[in-house]
Amino acid sequence: MELRINRRALIGIGVAGALTASSFALLRAETGVASSHREAPMIAGDPRNDNTDVYAFVSPDRPDTVTLMANFIPFEEPNGGPNFYQFDTDSRYNIKIDSDGDAKPDTVYQWTFRNEDKRGTATFLYDNGPITSLNDKNLLFRQRYTLKKITHNGTRTLVEDGVVAPSNTGAASMPDYGSLRTQSIKALPGGGKAFAGQADEAFFADLRVFDLLYGGNLSEVGQDTLKGYNVHSLALQVPKDEVALKGDAGRNPVIGVWSTVDKWSPKGYVQVSRLGQPLVNEVVVPAGLKDAFNALPPYQDADVAAVVKRVTHPEVPRLLAAIYGLKAPRTPRADLAEIFLTGIAKTNGPIKADLNSQGLNKDAGKLRPSEMLRLNMAIAPAAEPDRLGVLAGDLQGFPNGRRLGDDVIDIALQAMAGAAQSGKLVDALAAGDKVNQNDKPLGTRFPYIPLPGDTSVNES
Amino acid sequence: MKTSAKARLAAGVLALAAALTAGAALIPGERTPPVAGAPLQLVETPVSAVSLAGAIQALTTRLRRLPGDHQAWAQLGSAYVQQARLSADPSFYPKAEQALARSAALSPGNFAALTGQAALAAGRHDFTEAVRLAKLSQAANPYGQGAQAVLADAYTQLGRYGEATRAIDRLMELHPGVASFTRASYDAELRGDRTAARRMLEHALADAVSPADIAYCRHYLGELALRSGDLPGATEQYRLALQAAPDFAPALAGTARAAALDGRLDEAAGRYAAVVGRLPLAQYVIEYGEVLSAAGKDPAEQWALLRAQRELMKAAGVGDDLTWAEFEADHGSAARAVDHAEAEYARNPNVVAADALAWALHRDGRDRQALPYARKATATGWRNALLHHHRAEIERSLGLSAESKKSAARARDADPAFSPDLPALARFS
Repeated sequence: MELRINRRALIGIGVAGALTASSFALLRAETGVASSHREAPMIAGDPRNDNTDVYAFVSPDRPDTVTLMANFIPFEEPNGGPNFYQFDTDSRYNIKIDSDGDAKPDTVYQWTFRNEDKRGTATFLYDNGPITSLNDKNLLFRQRYTLKKITHNGTRTLVEDGVVAPSNTGAASMPDYGSLRTQSIKALPGGGKAFAGQADEAFFADLRVFDLLYGGNLSEVGQDTLKGYNVHSLALQVPKDEVALKGDAGRNPVIGVWSTVDKWSPKGYVQVSRLGQPLVNEVVVPAGLKDAFNALPPYQDADVAAVVKRVTHPEVPRLLAAIYGLKAPRTPRADLAEIFLTGIAKTNGPIKADLNSQGLNKDAGKLRPSEMLRLNMAIAPAAEPDRLGVLAGDLQGFPNGRRLGDDVIDIALQAMAGAAQSGKLVDALAAGDKVNQNDKPLGTRFPYIPLPGDTSVNES
Repeated sequence: MKTSAKARLAAGVLALAAALTAGAALIPGERTPPVAGAPLQLVETPVSAVSLAGAIQALTTRLRRLPGDHQAWAQLGSAYVQQARLSADPSFYPKAEQALARSAALSPGNFAALTGQAALAAGRHDFTEAVRLAKLSQAANPYGQGAQAVLADAYTQLGRYGEATRAIDRLMELHPGVASFTRASYDAELRGDRTAARRMLEHALADAVSPADIAYCRHYLGELALRSGDLPGATEQYRLALQAAPDFAPALAGTARAAALDGRLDEAAGRYAAVVGRLPLAQYVIEYGEVLSAAGKDPAEQWALLRAQRELMKAAGVGDDLTWAEFEADHGSAARAVDHAEAEYARNPNVVAADALAWALHRDGRDRQALPYARKATATGWRNALLHHHRAEIERSLGLSAESKKSAARARDADPAFSPDLPALARFS
């Protein structure tokens, strides 16, 4: 920290202070920093309360159950700071489910966290020796969680005292990280499972694909921007009936899923983050509405004309058209309104399929358009999942829910170019972002997401 | 500005290292960021909430590749405003101005550029302009947090406390966090509610991620303790601030201040010498001079440095009337103090400026004119010993002995460790 004042000017008037020299011109017309003006911090990122991705899929190894997952804390650099890669103990993390289509939650799974810190003032270290189990004395810091299920019938505590799988601090201190993950999985009453902890960032993409929006092009893609980073993951596996309308997944197999984070304030909790389908915040919601989108419940989406208009008159197809000489589909894009706002059903719009709208449930009420991730749990797991999901004829994949292996960037580009409506993939976009899978293989059992890495991303 | 993880691609993406090395300066006078040690294939690293310098470098790298990214220009401009705040180096302002202008040119009326420009105006002490720009930003994005933060700061400086409170409440409804809790703390302090002020800072601290923000929260917890006479408690908080950010100058000054108020004048003088050597802000130089005087040493060199600074600033067209109003009233010419204080109060009629004007008028022998300003300065309930002490002195000069006793008692109640011989050490914003 240096106040830049021209040293020579000071010497010139007979004073030599210990001042650092810099360009006097830059000081011109600048008010230095007055001592009488308190300047509080401005808004910074809030990674602990930042939703990165939501997944929902019929469990491949237990097809009578559904797996729900929400990830947080983007771009965790392995070894980069277990001290702040933690859940926020002043927040409530939610996965919400709308089973009847009214855009309001019928089931909420809610996690809250507390710290168990045995470090005292003597050390910042996360552990002081090898950790061979979750309750190892050498693990000096751990987070515990409470998981509640909130329905119209009240609140039930599912997990009282769960342990968050710790940040992976490397082979020296955690010789068998996999066993820590295994120990952290909790059985739920009714046959479900719960997991909270660090995991690999399983989302794979070359995020430069979005540079289209700023005059970039797709010539520079093919690199997994997220490779090697970790996230913090919350996951559940529950019997389908537990989340279906009227507890009957046979009659009512479609659910809508989204995740939120509520932060504590003196006047009550405030929703600061919201996520349903992937990429909505990137390709659908314009910059000036992102804050509103994060704050609003899905119930209010239909009233925000600007958001609806961005769905029906999106920007990306125009850019794709300009770059690839494609013909942008005619607007308003009723097909995209189906994908993003109502779910896909013949009665909802031009896409000729009854796939994943809550309106397909036998006991459904009136459907209210809203953005969420919609899953038809009746569709059995694919024997050979296709990364392009529904567009490639694999109806178990995105936008019918979302599996960890679904290539949502390529799917979204194709959908924007009209592939869902025409039923044909757009050849010009066949390569998409040229990143087709995660760098680490997915697990075969809950929670499926790979173990967190322990190698620094920028290590060459 | 909250961005979703993926939108951080607006800043957090990867470029080929080749692109890093091919860089003409983006902004005149801007050095190309060093790329030593950059790995072969990657890298515009993700913008972290932790390192402002890292964010600036990542944004700069991105903008070299994508000069049309108006969001990244707005983020870069806002980051430079923060850099100026943290380093007390105003040379970041022109850089901020250019980056924000680029954003606004690429996407006219975008709220992020307007927020950055509002913060820049506030940094430059043009609070009326800051309000105007923040309101434009608010119209473009009613859910934007940055605009509310700037509104809160600007209204506070303009003495429009009710509007400041409303902006803070709105900010809290949008996103509880460091920005809202720190401002709610100051708001509570100005209303005289120290308990709430402390509690809000503790919430801010729990939310803080970056070392600079942690240091800020610790430092103001220290200031709260110091102003209530708890010197050991204050020293501990300053220590914790420095543990988080070792070169956080305000906390270094805080430890010197606590030593001086504890009567350890030689130790304090040594600490101040180090602070002023590192960051010769007028406030610290004045405190140093007062401590030297109290220790029986000659502060002439510090006063000369100050006057030189003032000439320098004047030559550069810079006005900081408040500092000089306070300095001249305590250590120089009363008439000059009144001129400065009147100029400051005309621009920013807040309680600190009202106190400066009251005290300058008192020193100039104009107690009758001073009294209304002294009353105004103490009207919010702020438990600030210096303001009540000034009012007590003015009332005493006017023969209002009952009132004067009451004011003096308020000063003592606010801070038993207050020393009228070290007035600058009791000044805090």
